[in-house]
Amino acid sequence: MLRALSRCHDPVFRLLAPRSTVLVETVRGRKSRTDPKAKSKLGRIKTPPPVDPVEMVVLKERFTEYNLILRALRLEFKEQVLRKKYEDEVGSAAEERAKREAEEHRSLMAWNDAENLRLRKIREQRVQKEAEEAEMKRREAVLLRQQELENYIKEKERQIIQLQEEAKDFITLDNLDQRIEEALDNPKNYNFAIDKEGRIVKRTAFQ
Amino acid sequence: MPMKGRFPIRRTLEYLQKGEIVFKKTVKIMTVNYNTHGDLSEGARKFVFFNIPQIQYKNPWVQIMMFKNMTPSPFLRFYLDDGEQVLVDVEGKHHKEITQHVRKILGKSDKVLEAEALAKMELSNPANFGPKKYFLRECMSEVEGQVPHPGLVPLPKEMTGKYRAKLAAVSDD
Repeated sequence: MLRALSRCHDPVFRLLAPRSTVLVETVRGRKSRTDPKAKSKLGRIKTPPPVDPVEMVVLKERFTEYNLILRALRLEFKEQVLRKKYEDEVGSAAEERAKREAEEHRSLMAWNDAENLRLRKIREQRVQKEAEEAEMKRREAVLLRQQELENYIKEKERQIIQLQEEAKDFITLDNLDQRIEEALDNPKNYNFAIDKEGRIVKRTAFQ
Repeated sequence: MPMKGRFPIRRTLEYLQKGEIVFKKTVKIMTVNYNTHGDLSEGARKFVFFNIPQIQYKNPWVQIMMFKNMTPSPFLRFYLDDGEQVLVDVEGKHHKEITQHVRKILGKSDKVLEAEALAKMELSNPANFGPKKYFLRECMSEVEGQVPHPGLVPLPKEMTGKYRAKLAAVSDD
């Protein structure tokens, strides 16, 4: 559990942590430091278990051999993992992989450039078309304005001519008497009705 | 808690985890230039609105910046590790087309993603026991079909130590 709690994210560091340290904590149990020893344990003399020298020698040999083998195995495995990590980052396969990835990257960039070029062509055509349309509209607007100006001038001229024509029939101080005489001689009858078409329908007598 | 924003589905974890684009390690910065009005920027606008949250969720260490109304046509620009800049023109494209294009040039492929997921799975062995934070189970009693913890469910008499000791004492006598 301690190993799990103190887990680092880098597995290499975890492997290289010293394994020879004893991972046992002292456990106090129920009593604290200041509690006195129990009365039943007053005369107790703790003696370690007796050791058989022959057995000791045999066990020591076996243990040294066992520890040697286990340590060798552990170191082998550690070395394997480190080698694998090294190979992944800086190895012959890694170089090939990097080269391959660079190749793929180049090809993808080329494809992207081709796509950009295609879009650029479309955009240029569109911009050109818009410019032409704008030019045409501008020309049309100029023409229209010119046309309007001409129409205006013509209208004004027509009005001037009409006025000149009417001016001939104006009543001036010279022919005032003459016109009065004419008006009195020719009485006009405005008592008439018209229908929807504008034709005169009825006439009442002049009074 | 009422829903916030116009398309609150963009804020759900499910939607974010469905993002397709996981950038390669070399991509560091992503820049989007687009316009707020205009027909040609429509795809770019939708891309920014719908797909950028997904991309940022999947690539938390990539800086993404948005610039509005700076250029007449919309485009994306990626700044890579070795100083290379990748320009992607997105004028008039649909936002789905843009995602597929970006995924093709700078995203990790399906195979690579699967390999990475597999490698990640190998790190955590479900057969290990330990604290709940790192492992599935702490004790065998948590597994279905096993003897439950005596603290929660009392053991049957025959399995307790004191009954067995009593039996042994009686049989000795």
